[in-house]
Amino acid sequence: MRKKKVTARKMADHVFTYSALLVMAAVFLFPCLWLILASLSKTGSLYDFKGFFPKEFSFQTFRDLFTDDVNGLYPYGTWFLNTLYVAVGSSVLGTVLVLLTAYVMSRFRFRGRDTIKKTTLVLGMFPGFMGMTAVYIIMTQFGLIDKLGSLIFFYAATAPVGYMVQKGYFDSLPNTIFEAARLDGASELEVFMKITLPLSKPMVVYTMLTQFAWPWSDVLLPKLLLKDRQMWTVAVGLFNLPETHFARFAAGSVFIAIPIVILYFSLVKNIVNGLTAGSVKG
Amino acid sequence: MRRNIVAFLRWAPWRVRLSMVVMGIGQLCYGQIVKGLVYLACFGGFLAYFITTGVEDLIGFFTLGTTQENLWLGIPGDNSLTMLILGLFSIVLLILWVVLYVTNVKDAAFTARQIERGKPVPKFRQTLQTAVDGKFHITALSLPVVGVAIFSILPIVFMICIAFTDLGGDVVYPKLANWSLSSWKKILSLGKIGGTFMKILGWNILWAVTSTALNFVLGLGMALLLNKRNVKGSKFWRAFPILAYAIPGFISMLGFKFMFSQSGPINYYLDQAGLMRIFFLTNDASAKWWARGIGLFVNAWISTPSIMLMTTGILSNINTDLYEAASLDGASPWQQFRKITLPFVVFSTTPVLISQFVGNFNNFGVFFFLRSGVISNYADYFLASDTDLLINWLYKLSVDNNYYSIGAAISLVIFLITAVVSLSVYVRSAAYKQEDTYQ
Repeated sequence: MRKKKVTARKMADHVFTYSALLVMAAVFLFPCLWLILASLSKTGSLYDFKGFFPKEFSFQTFRDLFTDDVNGLYPYGTWFLNTLYVAVGSSVLGTVLVLLTAYVMSRFRFRGRDTIKKTTLVLGMFPGFMGMTAVYIIMTQFGLIDKLGSLIFFYAATAPVGYMVQKGYFDSLPNTIFEAARLDGASELEVFMKITLPLSKPMVVYTMLTQFAWPWSDVLLPKLLLKDRQMWTVAVGLFNLPETHFARFAAGSVFIAIPIVILYFSLVKNIVNGLTAGSVKG
Repeated sequence: MRRNIVAFLRWAPWRVRLSMVVMGIGQLCYGQIVKGLVYLACFGGFLAYFITTGVEDLIGFFTLGTTQENLWLGIPGDNSLTMLILGLFSIVLLILWVVLYVTNVKDAAFTARQIERGKPVPKFRQTLQTAVDGKFHITALSLPVVGVAIFSILPIVFMICIAFTDLGGDVVYPKLANWSLSSWKKILSLGKIGGTFMKILGWNILWAVTSTALNFVLGLGMALLLNKRNVKGSKFWRAFPILAYAIPGFISMLGFKFMFSQSGPINYYLDQAGLMRIFFLTNDASAKWWARGIGLFVNAWISTPSIMLMTTGILSNINTDLYEAASLDGASPWQQFRKITLPFVVFSTTPVLISQFVGNFNNFGVFFFLRSGVISNYADYFLASDTDLLINWLYKLSVDNNYYSIGAAISLVIFLITAVVSLSVYVRSAAYKQEDTYQ
């Protein structure tokens, strides 16, 4: 009798658990599925849809994305190259700056270290956005609008403020390795290049990914600094697509989301490590 | 300090004194040609800058322009905004010059001491070597520090300056601006701007608290659900939230905007069911709470996955012995959750919770994307809509409408609130205190 009660309870638990999982999966999957369906719609406008579903399916929108820019209004191919350029540039430059900062802050004790620590703490509290509006005003004054390079510099240069996650990782490397290398006559630069970096591959990958993903999906700064349609990034372009071009929006989104989704899934372990490192060690 | 300087001046050999007058000359006399030339070039550069425009820029920073544009006489007039920026720039260069001057004197004195002790004068190559090796930390940090100074600190200083002028609104070129507290008076008084400020601040706090709590509860719930022992294929189930996490935020937000738009799918089905269409995100008065609710939902959709991933990592760090001991003592699953899991998770996620709160308080994206294209002509709001957070209002003021000084003042208010919240909890948190004992 008693045993039966336990199994009944277990059954209920099972039912509850799996229905909760199903609901969760549906909530997260459905909007993505909807966008993918929409990208395969034959007609472009949101008004032509039957609720969530397009009336007719075709790959035409994807082809149009690159071949038909509607009289220069939506040159998706150019936007895509711009985005790639900015994202790769700031990923490389930003990663170097962040790793250097984190490494020095983790391994060296020097005068001014505490000042830097406190300054970054305070800087983190200013809305990042406040800097952006100021940069916008300054750059307009000096005519630095419509330059992709200034975007790269902004993304890369402001990245070191968030060095804490990487520092937490470097903190966890045993100090004895570095000391041994120094005794063997390695210079500090060699220690960093030949010992620290190979030991911190997950952190390097995590940093590169976050530094890549930010410009890849940022709308604000490019929207402020890029006025010429030909200089836009994909994010700004998609932001400006109206309801009548809904299928184009969906196709453009799917196209730009796929690489980053694949990247995230293949690196999910690194991301989780990075996230928890940041949370535990502040 | 003062006695030190006097003693230093009395001791200084003539070549050090030369360096004090003109940077780099002393080094040249010591035979350090390259270093001396670099210092000399910097000296010349600074001097040329200050003689040609620097001094003028510096004065301009304080006056913010004296000549009004006169079209009749063809006088171009001063642009207060440019003068503020250039003035700030000249102050930075002045500071840089002083720093360089001090290092130059110190360097010459160092060489002099080396000679007093009978050691050889350091060659340029050796200087480079110490820069790369012995002073590795300084060399490595110099680039990040300069970058942050230019792209983070300088803009913030600039905004702080602007907050204390009357720039923006009617006062744009060709009108001249002045230093004043007018924007603070406007925010804190009972006028339309002040009223808007109070209303937005209230909603902003409500939003930050509810969305942080909601996201945290949902994220923790999902992590616990996926961690349950009877869940098979948790990797598969976990893929769905990760999918949402991986999609760039702006795509999700714009997608939801289309979903809830006037002719979007949700309204289509309402129509089919014979119901009235709902103004979800338009600037209709009835849309206020709909839009706010959708904002909460969309924000949760975007940020719960990351909280789920984080708490999963933390949950795996809990010592499982604790649970065994607890169940041996007869604790129910609920008691175990309340007495073991929750305290542990809350303790180790305090920094995350704070940064989530701050992030939500300044969550620009949600309402910017969801209600993009909605014209904010709300009768009782000044250039804002009823879902706007302070940061959205700041954007509309300073970018869309050129109300620079009011926007800057608001960003200072945002900073104050965020700073007080984060500092009060952060400094007390164990993670911060234990930093050095940890190593």
